[in-house]
Amino acid sequence: MSFWATCAGMVAVTFGSRLAGLTLHRELPPFWLRFLHFVPIAVFAALVTPSLGGSRGEGGIRVVAAAIGALAAWRTRQLAVAIAVGMAAFWLLRLLPG
Amino acid sequence: MTPLWLGVIPFGIAYAVLARDAGLSLVETQALSLLVFAGSSQVSAVGLFGRGAGGSGIVFTTLLLNVRHVLYGLSLGRRVQMTRRERLVAAFFLTDEAYGVSIARGARSFPFVLGAELSLYLTWNVATLGGALLGGVIPDPERIGVDFVFPLAFLALLVPLLRRRVDVLVAIVAGALAWLLARSLPGGLPILCAGVVGSLLGALLTKGEQR
Repeated sequence: MSFWATCAGMVAVTFGSRLAGLTLHRELPPFWLRFLHFVPIAVFAALVTPSLGGSRGEGGIRVVAAAIGALAAWRTRQLAVAIAVGMAAFWLLRLLPG
Repeated sequence: MTPLWLGVIPFGIAYAVLARDAGLSLVETQALSLLVFAGSSQVSAVGLFGRGAGGSGIVFTTLLLNVRHVLYGLSLGRRVQMTRRERLVAAFFLTDEAYGVSIARGARSFPFVLGAELSLYLTWNVATLGGALLGGVIPDPERIGVDFVFPLAFLALLVPLLRRRVDVLVAIVAGALAWLLARSLPGGLPILCAGVVGSLLGALLTKGEQR
């Protein structure tokens, strides 16, 4: 699939999801409402783990830096702060010898 | 609204740098921000582009990432009176942040919702342009660890969602499953499987609860 076909597909499913909720008049069954609640939790977690270790043999450093970033996210609830703290921890840990 | 913009700017820049690193052109990087306008799925899409994943896998992952908007729409549609045309416009620009602000400030009118949405749209696209230009001049973004922004950003999006024990359990199961599957399956498939299995598990474990 070319870039533009993929982009069109992404637009369709994103706009579709956004419009579905706004135009739906019937209530969804409780099971599917609960399912939808857990979708972002499961998907965000699934996006983190495979790319956490990286491909440059710095797995240990990256896991520690990610934990520090997660702590910042938990304390501040600010995406920008969490990314900044996590990246700073990552760069500092890289400077350590051995 | 200011703290929201603060969060969007570095995320937008990071997205665009990652996109350029994955081989997308300036126009392609900007097009996703202008047309799709969904930060987390744009970041995951360029990650998958970079790993050479197929288009259908990317679209499926996007669907899974954005299906939460159904919930936002259901909630917002009940609070704010809108005409059919207004619903189309509000839907195109709907994001987590715009929904959050509209609910937190008790929005009752379409102009309020649209104002929140458009301010985020503008900020996101300006940040994208800045990052795309920046990404073009950094010689080797991987060497300074730009790819680490990817798991970090999703971790930062995940953590505030973990309010109850069952939320944490679902995150651990989905994360572990994706990690295991990613060793043998390509592209977006591990995310799709772990996302569906994790959500089913959560829905089954909370049976009998009213949400």
